[in-house]
Amino acid sequence: MKRRKFDMAAAPGNSARAIDDRFQVATPLRRLLNKVFPDHWSFLLGEIALFSFVVLLLTGVFLTFFFEPTMTEVIYNGSYAPLRGTPMSAAYASSLDISFDVRGGLIMRQMHHWSALLFMAAIVVHMLRIFFTGAFRKPRETNWIIGSLLFWVGFLAGFTGYSLPDDGLSGTGLRIASAIMLSIPVIGSWLTSSIFDGEFPGTIIISRFFIAHVLLIPALLVALISVHLGLVFKQKHTQWPGPGRTNGNVVGERMFPRYAIKQGGFFMVVFGVIALMGGLFQINPIWLFGPYEAWVVSAASQPDWYVMFLDGSTRLMPDWQIDIPIGDGYVIPPLFWPTVVLPGILVMLSLFYPFMEARYLKDYRSHNLLQRPRDVPFRTALGAMAVTFYLILTLTGANDVIADKFHISLNAMTWAGRIGLLILPPLAYYVTYRICLGLQQHDREVLAHGVETGIIKRLPDGRFVEVHQPLSAPDEHGHTELEYAGWVVPKKMNRLGALGPAIRGFFYPIEKPAEAPVSPGHPPVEPRPEREEIGSGETRR
Amino acid sequence: MSTQTGQSTRPGQEPIDVNDPQVSRFDIVREGARRDDIEIVHYEHQVAPGSKAERRLVRTVAGFFLLTGLAATAFLVIYIWWPWEYQPGRGGDKLFTPLLGVTLGVALLGIGFGILTWGKKLLPKEVSIQDRHEGAVSTEDRTITGQTMLYMADELGVRRRPLLGMSLLAGLVPVGAVAAAPLVGGLISDPHKNNQMMTTGFSPQEGQKIRLVREDGRPIRPADISAGGQITVFPGVEHGVSNRYADSPTLLIHLRDADAEDSRRNNEREGHGGYMWGNYAAFSKICTHAGCPASLYEQQTNRLLCPCHQSQFLITDNAKPIFGPASRRLPQLPIEVDAEGYFVAKSDYTEPVGPDFWERP
Amino acid sequence: MTSDNDRRRGLLARLRGRPVARSRGRRRLGAAVRLVAALMLAGGAYTVLAPGASAQENPPLSGAAADGKALFDVSCVTCHGRNAQGVEGRGPSLIGVGAASVEFQVSTGRMPMARQEAQAQRKPEVFSPDEVDQLAAYIQELGGGPVVPAGDNLHADGNVAIGGELYRINCSQCHAFSGGGGALSSGKYAPSLKPATDRQIYAAMLSGPQNMPVFGDNQITPEQKADIIAYIQTLNTDGDPGGFNLGRYGPSTEGVAIFLVGIVALVFASLWIAGKS
Repeated sequence: MKRRKFDMAAAPGNSARAIDDRFQVATPLRRLLNKVFPDHWSFLLGEIALFSFVVLLLTGVFLTFFFEPTMTEVIYNGSYAPLRGTPMSAAYASSLDISFDVRGGLIMRQMHHWSALLFMAAIVVHMLRIFFTGAFRKPRETNWIIGSLLFWVGFLAGFTGYSLPDDGLSGTGLRIASAIMLSIPVIGSWLTSSIFDGEFPGTIIISRFFIAHVLLIPALLVALISVHLGLVFKQKHTQWPGPGRTNGNVVGERMFPRYAIKQGGFFMVVFGVIALMGGLFQINPIWLFGPYEAWVVSAASQPDWYVMFLDGSTRLMPDWQIDIPIGDGYVIPPLFWPTVVLPGILVMLSLFYPFMEARYLKDYRSHNLLQRPRDVPFRTALGAMAVTFYLILTLTGANDVIADKFHISLNAMTWAGRIGLLILPPLAYYVTYRICLGLQQHDREVLAHGVETGIIKRLPDGRFVEVHQPLSAPDEHGHTELEYAGWVVPKKMNRLGALGPAIRGFFYPIEKPAEAPVSPGHPPVEPRPEREEIGSGETRR
Repeated sequence: MSTQTGQSTRPGQEPIDVNDPQVSRFDIVREGARRDDIEIVHYEHQVAPGSKAERRLVRTVAGFFLLTGLAATAFLVIYIWWPWEYQPGRGGDKLFTPLLGVTLGVALLGIGFGILTWGKKLLPKEVSIQDRHEGAVSTEDRTITGQTMLYMADELGVRRRPLLGMSLLAGLVPVGAVAAAPLVGGLISDPHKNNQMMTTGFSPQEGQKIRLVREDGRPIRPADISAGGQITVFPGVEHGVSNRYADSPTLLIHLRDADAEDSRRNNEREGHGGYMWGNYAAFSKICTHAGCPASLYEQQTNRLLCPCHQSQFLITDNAKPIFGPASRRLPQLPIEVDAEGYFVAKSDYTEPVGPDFWERP
Repeated sequence: MTSDNDRRRGLLARLRGRPVARSRGRRRLGAAVRLVAALMLAGGAYTVLAPGASAQENPPLSGAAADGKALFDVSCVTCHGRNAQGVEGRGPSLIGVGAASVEFQVSTGRMPMARQEAQAQRKPEVFSPDEVDQLAAYIQELGGGPVVPAGDNLHADGNVAIGGELYRINCSQCHAFSGGGGALSSGKYAPSLKPATDRQIYAAMLSGPQNMPVFGDNQITPEQKADIIAYIQTLNTDGDPGGFNLGRYGPSTEGVAIFLVGIVALVFASLWIAGKS
């Protein structure tokens, strides 16, 4: 029998041709490979969230193989001696088994929890970047809304996951959640009773939360993330202003190969950091909290960090109860305001902010260039105000730990939080606004007068002035007519040029200076012939 | 690929024949980019092929990948052979998870930084400019699409045949409700079934007063608690010490004489006279704010602190909230001692226990 | 420090003539306390002044107790008064508190107190173990009270699992799931259990120091106390299987860690990735 010769070299080409015959992918694939992405470190923050979501899916699937989402009472008989013989729910027992009796189960559990925290943290940091640079403006309002929803859906995913192990901490959280639902006027008790199937805690809530946590919410997250990424793709990424960059183009790298490789590498780095944290930092030691029992609580019971601001607002709320004297009398408990109304307002504010700002500025054009935070002082100041507000609430969420560890009175902490919540955000607004204006002014000064050289000159009449190096040819007053381009203005002698440091290196300068100024249209600046290292001076004896 | 970018004539702006055997591969790449409205304005190798710098970078990348192999192997070795079963103390089993984390983390970071170094240092640097084509939607296209949709609507003729539209609406709304009905109907549960929100495990059963019992089910005598002490008690019914009676856990406190005197006087004022027995008072352990067990009893100040939101209740004044977000005092359980000398609840709580809700009387 | 502290502090402030804002309830409470204290003081004064009453009715002190009395008269008498009758506004009477209380307060260095504050703190102890025993013997012989059983290891046959259950019901609300302690109202706190010895934990349960409720042998039997101590010591000796425990403060330090470690590391990574090469 004659063996047919198989041409290895031609195989890829042949199969590619065969595929294209059937699916006509060559043109769209070329478009994809060629798509240009701008490059800036702050554009990678959203990816951290995306990648930790992937890790969440991977580790989460592992956990479902061992977790038993029922509240049936069992007697624990696993390896963890201090709980042996204790009655507990099957959910808690199986969580203990994952931690102690499944080989490698603990690191998966810990990686899952750390990546959940990282997911939420990255969302928040990414969102701040979008906000402060104005990337949410038209045409990207939809993506901003989806991003805000992702935070709240992630919040739900986190909370349901926090509740699943049914340990003392998660049961306490669930108890508070039920009280929050109960506090809603008119429908509160019906809502709670329907979700818990009767009085708290009932026997079915873990099963319901499980299906929400592993199916409904992840499906929603996947859908929202897909649309989010699809829109980034469709609308193309924003970019910073700079030489050659306009509202109508994207300056950067084509997706393949370099950009895609960087993304793949970054995924591995995110995964690796999560693995390191999962192994090195113990998170949520459920075995110490014991099973959830309605009469057991630990001091310093707190939610995960992204829920802590709600806990904080609840702690700061004064005891204002509203009685409605109709019929038998009705009540709106104080718990309602900080846990239902406040998040409701926050959701609405965040969803509609792009439209409110556009209306306020009467700016309905499309923007693809980012703004430096200093150039829009009111927005930056508003953001600082919001961050301050959120930080105070979050810190208050841990105010008992702070009070205990720093020997401050708990009651004083509460009052400090109450007063701080009213005073500090406006203060943050004012301070940030002034800082922005100051930075703007300095930019304009440098454009008009040049870079400060640090050389002091004495004039014939005795005055001392600092010599400025103009950025372009000055007029007779020593002023230069340079337009502010919305991008970094060089402020140091060795940072001339608009594209970043001319001296290379990450933490310390590499001795070789950059080749040439990158700013177009300006004469090259000669690098100094030699660079002296600044030291103690002793080496030069 | 050894291609050079000419800087002078901005190549890649003119279409080229991709089937011409003369053109280089890079020219074809640039032609593809041109067709996607991309101009590759800068394309430059960072290290000269075959240079010392390139060899060094290649060694670095290879080093990262080999590190990954090493770490991954170490992970497997540890995973298989490390003694990982739980032992009390600070034995080697406590190192299992950290070691797995370190080896896995190093392995993944090795791949990551290997790939990153490869992409960042060894691949050519480029700057490309792509047109956004925003606002390039032609108004003509918009008109065509809009008219097409309107045309379809006209063809359906809902406007001309109003009966169709109305009957469709009348037919589909119930169908939507049918989709929602099983979910809502299945989930809904009457919160006032068996008056469950107003009663606890202490409500007398068949005229029998309910005993206060410990967590192990034993009833409690007055002598079991010293002055200045407190104990968590449960209704002495079946499953009384379980989450089925999550509203029932109660704090039984033995006050000192002077405090008890105060407490009794304040009880009288609130119409709760006789709720205490001797110097003993029993208050619901479930916070009226958010339902945590408010159980941090300070025996000298007689304050009860809830660890969740720091509400503080003054036990000697009917457990009135004196600090924090709670607005309602902790319900007091009327207690007495039965013929056998054990504590019983005189009656159930006289107000609803636990967090507040809209229709609380 | 806030306006309403425990009653001892309130009285003290009053003695110093410093106005202290107090609610009506607290004032009433304070009045009741003052009444009781005044009665006690009067009783004490009577006992002291009544000719020959105490000297003849009290049995002579044992050797250790006599040494303890000598120590007491040097270090404790300022606040707790002659014969440990207490001094209004400074220190309570020690009649009947028992050796357990002395052992807890003195061996943890809480007594002698350095200054009046919201709560006595653990300090390096002033007295040697022998001196603590002598003081304890003196107070015990004065008025009786709970005593910690002999021996340094009181948890030898404690059951950790039962102890854990009792710990969660009775202790964790103040001392936290980890035994690390927690905040109470107005600057008071439940201390960490890490440095506590078996005897100190036992003594604390018996005597209910400061604001801690009393857990007498009638409520928690000696066997159960051994279980609880066994569990607390397990918390200290059992290593963390999941790596560094972040202080066992619960989710608050985990939140700090994810930003300080996770986000910071990854932002640095992205700075490097997107940086000019």
